[in-house]
Amino acid sequence: MENAAYIGLSRQMTLRRELDIVANNIANADTTGFKVEQLLLGAEVGERARNDAVRPGVSFVLDRGVGRDYGQGPLNQTGRPLDFGIEGEGVFFEIETDQGPAYTRDGAFTLDPEGRLVTEAGHRVQGQGGEIILDPALGQPAVAADGAISQNGLPVGQLKLVRFDALAALSKGGDGLYRNASNAAAMDATDARVRQGMLEGSNVNPILEITNLIEISRAYERITRMIENTNDLSRRAVERLGRTS
Amino acid sequence: MRALRTAASGMAAQQLNVEVISNNIANMNTVGFKRQRAEFQDLLYQNVERMGAQSSSQGTVVPTGIQIGAGVKAGSVYRITEQGTPSQTGNRYDMAIDGRGYFQVNLPSGETAFTRAGNFAVNGEGQLVTDDGYAVNPAITIPQDAVDVSISKSGQVQVITQGSTEPSVVGQLELATFFNEAGLEAVGDNLLMETAASGPATVGTPGAAGFGQILQGYTEASNVDAVSEISALIVAQRAYEMNSKVISTADDMLSVAAQVKS
Repeated sequence: MENAAYIGLSRQMTLRRELDIVANNIANADTTGFKVEQLLLGAEVGERARNDAVRPGVSFVLDRGVGRDYGQGPLNQTGRPLDFGIEGEGVFFEIETDQGPAYTRDGAFTLDPEGRLVTEAGHRVQGQGGEIILDPALGQPAVAADGAISQNGLPVGQLKLVRFDALAALSKGGDGLYRNASNAAAMDATDARVRQGMLEGSNVNPILEITNLIEISRAYERITRMIENTNDLSRRAVERLGRTS
Repeated sequence: MRALRTAASGMAAQQLNVEVISNNIANMNTVGFKRQRAEFQDLLYQNVERMGAQSSSQGTVVPTGIQIGAGVKAGSVYRITEQGTPSQTGNRYDMAIDGRGYFQVNLPSGETAFTRAGNFAVNGEGQLVTDDGYAVNPAITIPQDAVDVSISKSGQVQVITQGSTEPSVVGQLELATFFNEAGLEAVGDNLLMETAASGPATVGTPGAAGFGQILQGYTEASNVDAVSEISALIVAQRAYEMNSKVISTADDMLSVAAQVKS
């Protein structure tokens, strides 16, 4: 009987979650290599009452998952020789962490005291065939579009670029790192290009996110009013029917 | 409500961004200053529904899962060691490094600091010192009767003394390089200190492979680009505003929820 209130509640719960996701998108509007996220909603059709053949079943709102838009972010020039941006959707740098391989679009790398190419957090960047070691005495490294690194004209390694068949199976661990949650192995990405001295910005569209924010806020108010109206309705019904004279 | 804290982390991050940008702008005319940049990373994610989790006993799995992020944090603030423009000063003790390397300076504490600011002078004893009076290492003393001082690109200091036409060598400047320049710690006064992250200093002659050359009569200007800093400031301000919008929206929604009659 209280179906209308429960349906409203199911929408309100998903709206709260949507707000959390929009808040995270806006907070990361300036995060290197961030990919915008969106809550995917679906209708969960409820079983209709057995003794009520006329009324159709009701549909509740259910969040099915979080979709991530792996679209290309803008490449911003930084002028730092160890900043790398990837041009190519769904392609990642492979890095080695204590918990196994991780993948990232954040190419702000640096060197450790031994000359290894590492991320800002100190994880080793993987090349084709292990880590990449640079010799600072040989001068600035030059990186070709296919990820081949050379110093003074001599090849010193090649950045490992990978892609996945099922991008939805990538799990995010924070710090801009993705982990492979499926059994499918990463494949070499040969069509992607690396841009030296550039970093990929976040692909969050601020205008869209602010619009989402307004929409969420208004929808929440609307649903609240709907729940209130439903309550009023049943209260009035009880009052009217309860009148004896 | 998670959105409140998420947006607060966004505001804190943008505040740090503005602090870094304002420091860059403040040091636009600082000799040898290297601009800094704040880099952000997303905070950890909460798995509401794990991707790959079984959704039935028939072996079907959740294809996407629900992961909700908790906001943003500053990943690092790093120095961009791009070459600054050498600007002519006419002062014969001013030196700019064209290329890699740092001058070494002996601090009163006995430690060695490193600097790109080559606006040197001589003290009462004729010794080459920084504008704080700290001696440049290796020590170079200019004789009192020197008429002219010339410093070669390879760092050789020669003087012509009164009554002589032949230049005589009085010292040789050396530069220090590091595996990881970004790992040097800034201690103010244009000075940087060696850390475990930077690795030990490699000392060599200017002009040798891997070392920059010395330009006498020039100082290295800061590598801050005013236009890009101002546009970064605008972006940071707008991002700050948007995060505050999220907070007020979350607040509105909470107050709507609180006013529901029973």
